[in-house]
Amino acid sequence: MKTLMGVTLALVPLAGWAASTEYQDIERGRYISVLGDCAACHTVNDDQPFAGGVPLETPFGTLVAPNITPDATTGLGRWDYEDFKAAMTEGVGKGGYHLYPAMPYPSYTLMNEEDIHDLWSFLQTVTPVENAIEANQLPFPFSIRSVMMGWNWLNFDERSFEPDPEQSDEINRGAYLVEGLGHCGTCHTPRNFMGGAGGDKFAGATIEGWYAPDITPNAHVGIGGWSEDELVEYLQTGGNRYGFASGPMADEVHHSSQHWTEDDLYAVARYLLSGAGLESSDWDHAPPEPLPEDNPQVTAGSHIYFDRCSGCHTPNGGGEEGIFPQLASNPLVNGDNTTSLIRVVLAGSRPVATDAKPTAPAMPSFAWNLNDEEIASVLTFVRNSWGNAAPAVSAGEVADMREELRGD
Amino acid sequence: MKEKDDDAAPGGLTRRQLLGSSAALLVGASGAAKGLTFQGTPEWKPFDNVAVEPVDTDTAWQFFTDEEAATVEAIVERLIPADDLSMSGKEAGCAVFIDRQLAGAYGGYERLYMHGPFQDGTPEQGDQSALTPKQRYRLGLGALNDHCRNEHGAVFAELSEEQRDQLLAQLEQEEIQLDDIDTQLFFELVLTNTMEGFFADPIYGGNRDMVSWKMLGFPGARYDYRNYVERHNEDLGFEPVSIGGRPDWQTQG
Repeated sequence: MKTLMGVTLALVPLAGWAASTEYQDIERGRYISVLGDCAACHTVNDDQPFAGGVPLETPFGTLVAPNITPDATTGLGRWDYEDFKAAMTEGVGKGGYHLYPAMPYPSYTLMNEEDIHDLWSFLQTVTPVENAIEANQLPFPFSIRSVMMGWNWLNFDERSFEPDPEQSDEINRGAYLVEGLGHCGTCHTPRNFMGGAGGDKFAGATIEGWYAPDITPNAHVGIGGWSEDELVEYLQTGGNRYGFASGPMADEVHHSSQHWTEDDLYAVARYLLSGAGLESSDWDHAPPEPLPEDNPQVTAGSHIYFDRCSGCHTPNGGGEEGIFPQLASNPLVNGDNTTSLIRVVLAGSRPVATDAKPTAPAMPSFAWNLNDEEIASVLTFVRNSWGNAAPAVSAGEVADMREELRGD
Repeated sequence: MKEKDDDAAPGGLTRRQLLGSSAALLVGASGAAKGLTFQGTPEWKPFDNVAVEPVDTDTAWQFFTDEEAATVEAIVERLIPADDLSMSGKEAGCAVFIDRQLAGAYGGYERLYMHGPFQDGTPEQGDQSALTPKQRYRLGLGALNDHCRNEHGAVFAELSEEQRDQLLAQLEQEEIQLDDIDTQLFFELVLTNTMEGFFADPIYGGNRDMVSWKMLGFPGARYDYRNYVERHNEDLGFEPVSIGGRPDWQTQG
């Protein structure tokens, strides 16, 4: 009887809310905030969501994501919907100041009105937190916000999402998520000298000392060899047989994509793997020939691999499903950009732990045991074995990374 | 025949009393314990490791005086003589290994409880001496050379191989009583440390070029043998590898 009462009492308010469209808008808005991964930059402490404070290192200096709770003095408490919409789609804050495009308004500009509206409805329900943030910590002249007027003129078009009538609804949904809310290109598309999106869309780029890999359908360096299931598995659980999300992607999976609906994840996978949105000439390059086995670095690297790596990654590079990534035929290994490869061997890595895969198996650090030349050799061997083919890694690259990481 | 109470536990307690009191003990213990609860994933730090600094074999003696070092080298050279199987303990760096160990935490037995009362104890209780390894070497090497000067008119290192072998045998058999230190305590420590130096990883200063591992066919500091565990009685062709690597790690040419 007691239990029954409890259930009834609990149901009454829920039923009342469910009838309210406002409640539905807010809940939709909560999901929009997950799709847009607002928390990645605006949440430092999970107890104070959206109170801002995540520092973003850009090539131009440090920006700190502001407080977007409804606090009147330090958050968005005095903003109205039109102010919010202008920030999301035009990169202009209340009163007309220019946002820096570390805030991905060049992507969010594609959001439809309903999504922006619901997101705003949700943000107004967040607990206000008093947390003053000085967002702009850039050096002169980048510290002058009006600089962004010129930047926007060169790098930004305010536009709305246009579905491609040639493509299925699912692919169009994927395009909306990838190009807009999910703002994948913010990290995965190389920046031009101004920090705007350059050519080579989705061809991979260095971000915060990590390599955001190529996500084109190229099978050798991109994700073209992955099945839709494998791509969804990566985004939903934080890893698949090729690797585990680390660095900034670990944050993305933790805050965002592990919570996406399966339909949305498959839409993203189908869109990315179809190459819709890209010209095939941009990504359809033939892979290089692997370096020969008698290359001195490959030979030395084969011994180091056998002695130090094969215990986990297995002698034939096959790895162990669910714990040790396979290195054979692995696009993450083949990329021209070796930032992440050198980094994980030097410093080790603890990838994301997700609800689906809570273990987060860590790669140990080898900085103490392998010198720069040895790390260069073993990576060169891995990049040219078992179906992989990629340029050699030099000891100098390893030395630079060692210094950069140690200097943190 | 005396009637036996099935419920009696040693000391006259019934089983129920015993269970009851252990339960109370557990409750009390858990109440007082300072437990740590871990949630989520354990802490992880970049560059985290349990690195060992490789011994620099080229520097001067860290603990031994020159005379002590010469004596230890003259001992390890005879405990492990050069033969068809390997170089000598001296060439393999056993004296360097012992010197660096004595200069470090081992020399003061830093990980052992080294406070009184010191009593002889039973053989099963093992080493009960108040002397640290540093003290044992200092006293033992000094006493050995005193003995050699008195009996042979020269320090140990100046004696012939035959003389040294005979002296070591006498030490082992306790036919010599050293001043200031128990002969057996000293000899066994030197013998043990010499073997450790010969077989330990080369980064600790001994086992030069992995000589003992090559002699035995020991594959060295490797991690996982799942692919080989079912392969018996065949040469797997493993080159021994030290924690610090092996020559094949270097690019050739």
